[in-house]
Amino acid sequence: MSASVIERFAPLFQPKTVAVVGASTTKGTALPNVFIRRLREFGFEGAIYPIHPAAAEIDGLAAYRSLAETPEPVDYAYIAIAAAQVPPLLREARGRVRFAQVISSGFGEVEEGKELQEELVAAARAGGMRLLGPNCLGIYTPRGRVTFTEIGPRETGNVGVLSQSGGLGTDIIRRGLSRGLKFSGLITVGNCADLGPNELLEFYLADPQTKVIGMYIETAKDGRRLFEILRDARAAKPVVILKGGRTQQGRMAAASHTGALAGDDRVWVALSRQTGCVLVETLDQFIDALLVFQTLAPRPQHPTRRIVLFGNGGGASVLATDFFARLGLDVAPFDRPTIERLAALRLPPGTSIANPVDAPVGTLQQDDGRVAEKILEAIYGSGRPEALVMHLNLSVFVGRTKDEVLDNLVQAALRVQSHYPGQAHFMLVLRSDGDPKLEERKREFRARAVALGIPVYDEMENAGCALAALAFHECFVQARSFLSSGARAR
Amino acid sequence: MSGFDEIAEARNRRRSALDEPAGKRLLASFGIAVPKSAVVQDTVQAASQFAGLTPPVVLKVMSPDILHKSDAGGVKAGLQTAAEVEQAVRVMMASPQIANARIDGFLLEEMAPPGQEIVVGALRDPQFGPLVMVGLGGIFVEVLADVAFRICPITRLDAEEMLDELKGAALLKGTRGRRPASREAIVDTLLKVGGERGLLMTHAEDIREADINPLIVSESGAVAVDARFILTEA
Repeated sequence: MSASVIERFAPLFQPKTVAVVGASTTKGTALPNVFIRRLREFGFEGAIYPIHPAAAEIDGLAAYRSLAETPEPVDYAYIAIAAAQVPPLLREARGRVRFAQVISSGFGEVEEGKELQEELVAAARAGGMRLLGPNCLGIYTPRGRVTFTEIGPRETGNVGVLSQSGGLGTDIIRRGLSRGLKFSGLITVGNCADLGPNELLEFYLADPQTKVIGMYIETAKDGRRLFEILRDARAAKPVVILKGGRTQQGRMAAASHTGALAGDDRVWVALSRQTGCVLVETLDQFIDALLVFQTLAPRPQHPTRRIVLFGNGGGASVLATDFFARLGLDVAPFDRPTIERLAALRLPPGTSIANPVDAPVGTLQQDDGRVAEKILEAIYGSGRPEALVMHLNLSVFVGRTKDEVLDNLVQAALRVQSHYPGQAHFMLVLRSDGDPKLEERKREFRARAVALGIPVYDEMENAGCALAALAFHECFVQARSFLSSGARAR
Repeated sequence: MSGFDEIAEARNRRRSALDEPAGKRLLASFGIAVPKSAVVQDTVQAASQFAGLTPPVVLKVMSPDILHKSDAGGVKAGLQTAAEVEQAVRVMMASPQIANARIDGFLLEEMAPPGQEIVVGALRDPQFGPLVMVGLGGIFVEVLADVAFRICPITRLDAEEMLDELKGAALLKGTRGRRPASREAIVDTLLKVGGERGLLMTHAEDIREADINPLIVSESGAVAVDARFILTEA
């Protein structure tokens, strides 16, 4: 245990040698063959060792009989063979494998596989390796150029994820990438027979590359330890938890009021309130929250509360105001001086200058969109919001305004942002009606915005939930550092 | 007594729960106020022990077979004289539900000054270990489930946030002619139960569930008027 958690996990996140067990000599579509192909496409530079009982060569690579016979020790072994064959394979590795990931299912997730899973754990121990899985899909680690799913960007990002579901892990990567997430790693941990969420959480907390951590958890495995790790981390990095199975957790029959009231997920709410981790309920909320932490630096010294909504769509902004209020976010009307400054701009009729600021396209396209700079100068200078949500209904813009209007609106906002550094979080909502041409324009526009460090959301509600996650984290850190400064010390 | 004695004694007697006086001694050993009381077996003892208490007093039956004492006719409050106490013991002994149960005795106890009823609870979560709970008494807990849970150990700030989380939190400030309840006394009790060196962290292996119901909180302090501790399986 003397090696740091970073050193211990280096062979998993940046393996130099990868063994692949289960590749077929004839069937190129078998999972392990696909994995080999993806390693090569993703630019993996280390050695790949197919393991096969008979073949001399697979996909042009020299094959070996067992994990003990490879030229160099194996940093990471990808294993997809029949469940019963896995324990003997691991046992004979003789300390030459650092991490083995067992993709195969048929272990602890089914009643008849429980015994086999115990055997698997014992075999991994005997073979001297740490075990990931079984019943998972793989790892995606751009820094190591290893991926189990289709090629993502090779650039290493800041979002570290672990998932107890392989399929959901794939969804997180795909959907996350299309919304602008960049990962420092995504590990599917399956049944967590050996390595569980806690150790990977410890790695991500220590990993300088990781800025925000996401976890999809179905079973805490060791909830006590999870609580202690998160508590001791003092919310140094935002942690977002998507908890599956919150409504069906088995519980002993209650013999007290307290037992009956404990319900299914009270403990997860408690975990969140005590450690500052953000608890979300859907995959979309998970990605939305990770995106906000990836792009915006939390400001615990003045937590996000006062929000300004600015864009086109009166009804949409009224609905958003209600929704934000229910999340504890404040879309309060401006004070008099701010309204006077906005009124002095003499914006066209139909523009509402309270908060939300509802500006029809006719207003927004003034000066090809540069009008936004004057509006936002007034809002930032006088209204002092903690966050600005700019929402643009693309279906009203596209075809009616010059192409550059959208760009100019965003550029105007970025200029005002730079005049008031550290004052307000800025995010974009790009609303669309699903028309394919519009979606195409939106995708391209979104990519540019995210590259500029602006989180982009599909709807106001998504933006609201993301801001609420940010605000929750900021408030937690503020309250706790307040505590450590002695004002509320014990 | 250290608290370990109460638990060991209950385990020796193969009891799955602490009786009320043992539960209160456990609370008292962690600095939580409990009413002055005496355990009596009959009318004669009841009358003599009454002399050492300040009326009004309440008489409660002690039985491992009776979960809900008041439903079984096992609680008589507001007793002012030795004669009233003797009579209450006689009536209880004659009640069919009590006559047919194993009886450990009767608890004769001074009554707490009036205040806001609070419930403080505990639960051992199989994954997360000891949890502490707080809620406002009566319908707030029983009907509305307006409670807040935390994982032990809790800090003072955690305890304060638990109270803030209750929908009925405003009632603690006193409303509609009711006196306010000491927030500080509730926070203090939560820390003594769920804090770093509190009851639940000390006895994490032994306590499966617990209710302090009610904890009566006045402007000046809190008193645990009833306590129920269910032990983990030995």
